[in-house]
Amino acid sequence: MYTDPLQKATLWIEKGLNTLFSQRYNPFYYHGALPNFFIWALFLSGLLLFAYYQPTLANAYASVHYITYELPFGNLFRAMHRYASDGMMIFVILHMLRVWFTDRYREYRILPWVTGVILLTITFIIGLTGYLMIWDQEAVTLANITFNLLKSLPVVGAPVAEALMAGKVISDYTLTRFMFLHLGIPLFMMFMLWLHYLRITRPVSEPPLPLVVMMAGGLFIVSSILPVGLGVLPYGAHDAGAAPLLSGLGSVSSEVYFDLLYAWPQYLAAQNVPPVAVLLLVLAVPVGLLVLPYLQKKALRGQFAQVARENCTGCSLCYQDCPYEAITMVDRGNDGTRFKRLAVVDAGRCANCGLCVGACAFKAIEIPRRETSSVLAEIEASLLSSTT
Amino acid sequence: MTTENNKVIGIVCERSVDFAGKLDDNGYLLDNPAVKIIQVPCSGQIQPIMLETALKNGASGTFAVGCRMGDCHYREGNKFCRERLIGKRMPKLKPSVDKRRVEDYWLSALEYDKLSDMVSQFVVACNQLPSPAAAKKP
Repeated sequence: MYTDPLQKATLWIEKGLNTLFSQRYNPFYYHGALPNFFIWALFLSGLLLFAYYQPTLANAYASVHYITYELPFGNLFRAMHRYASDGMMIFVILHMLRVWFTDRYREYRILPWVTGVILLTITFIIGLTGYLMIWDQEAVTLANITFNLLKSLPVVGAPVAEALMAGKVISDYTLTRFMFLHLGIPLFMMFMLWLHYLRITRPVSEPPLPLVVMMAGGLFIVSSILPVGLGVLPYGAHDAGAAPLLSGLGSVSSEVYFDLLYAWPQYLAAQNVPPVAVLLLVLAVPVGLLVLPYLQKKALRGQFAQVARENCTGCSLCYQDCPYEAITMVDRGNDGTRFKRLAVVDAGRCANCGLCVGACAFKAIEIPRRETSSVLAEIEASLLSSTT
Repeated sequence: MTTENNKVIGIVCERSVDFAGKLDDNGYLLDNPAVKIIQVPCSGQIQPIMLETALKNGASGTFAVGCRMGDCHYREGNKFCRERLIGKRMPKLKPSVDKRRVEDYWLSALEYDKLSDMVSQFVVACNQLPSPAAAKKP
């Protein structure tokens, strides 16, 4: 069964975490719920930053400077916002890797996977716009790289770059656009999360309280002892309101530091890789993840749970227990039985897992790969054969 | 007509404890020949009636094995199975079933040794129990 080394590696990590955190609070068992904790942490810490941030060329840097060095608890909130965003990326990627490695991402799980890849991409864009809003020299460099990479793509690149820049040149509207995206995309994220959960009955969307306390405490401690700094004022922006000069990709200096996630396109660009190639490499990540489920041979081969109409009483236990919303209860019409409803399986959503079989007390639903009668026969045969 | 024997039947999720190389040709544990292992795709598929059937046909004990709580491949199978065995979810294990003869283990594919130890203890415990009332019935 577990010949897959990735799956086995995941199990080993989880075994270790079980001894460390106990099975009940193993973070790997809440890999999907933990990003939701960070969404809340980001929302709450972002509120204060939003209250003091000024999205203009003249004031963006100054307002971040004020938040960082003068506003009471400003640095704490900024640090929490920064580290929570790191935590968000880490747990979102862990979530993705775990469902990938444990083979929980395809066929009946295709909708959560596709929406998940979109969510991962927009999380990255939210993070990017967050970096840009600070508008110190690092942010200007990152904006420079982003715009130039986008513009290198023929036909579609330039309009997208202009949409991100809010015009053909950098202006006050550019920073307003960054802020709009930084606040607006999370709203779109909520919609995507709804789609993400749509095929999942009872999604685990909240980590247990002790884990929340642990994460919140960790975030608070890290933010307290590791304050975030602010880079230098953008070169050439010393006269207030002047747009910094954007030059080619070669302007990346070694002192510029970004998260690993944002650093590799910059690194490649600095190695004289053509911008189009870098951009296509960046885009290949989400596209590759989207096609990943289709590269594997189907495991289910069109099998799904079968309802035996003559046995179904319409009790709806299987409907309630199905973890993938694959069973619906329909009006069975006048078919000579005294029952009103009938369970119907949606083949495309069915995982062929047999949870409905365990829920059924009337032998009315079966999965073809393991019929209840075969299990019962095996039990009886083994006890008969060795009667003493 | 069956009589009591010392067999213990385990119904096991094929994704939990890995029995590769641990069973003989008839599905009995090499470490403990009294234990018959029957595999199903997920512990969520285990109906209480399966365990009841084992006891009714003369098994001295029966147990269910699924993945670690929190890590069901199909999301909720082990949780539901456990709830059915402790009477918190329909269909429940019959109240008349001798609970001393029913066990459940929730372990990952890496934890065969742990399971083997616990099952061995369970087998001993079952065999020390007085003759099961369930075995009287054909």
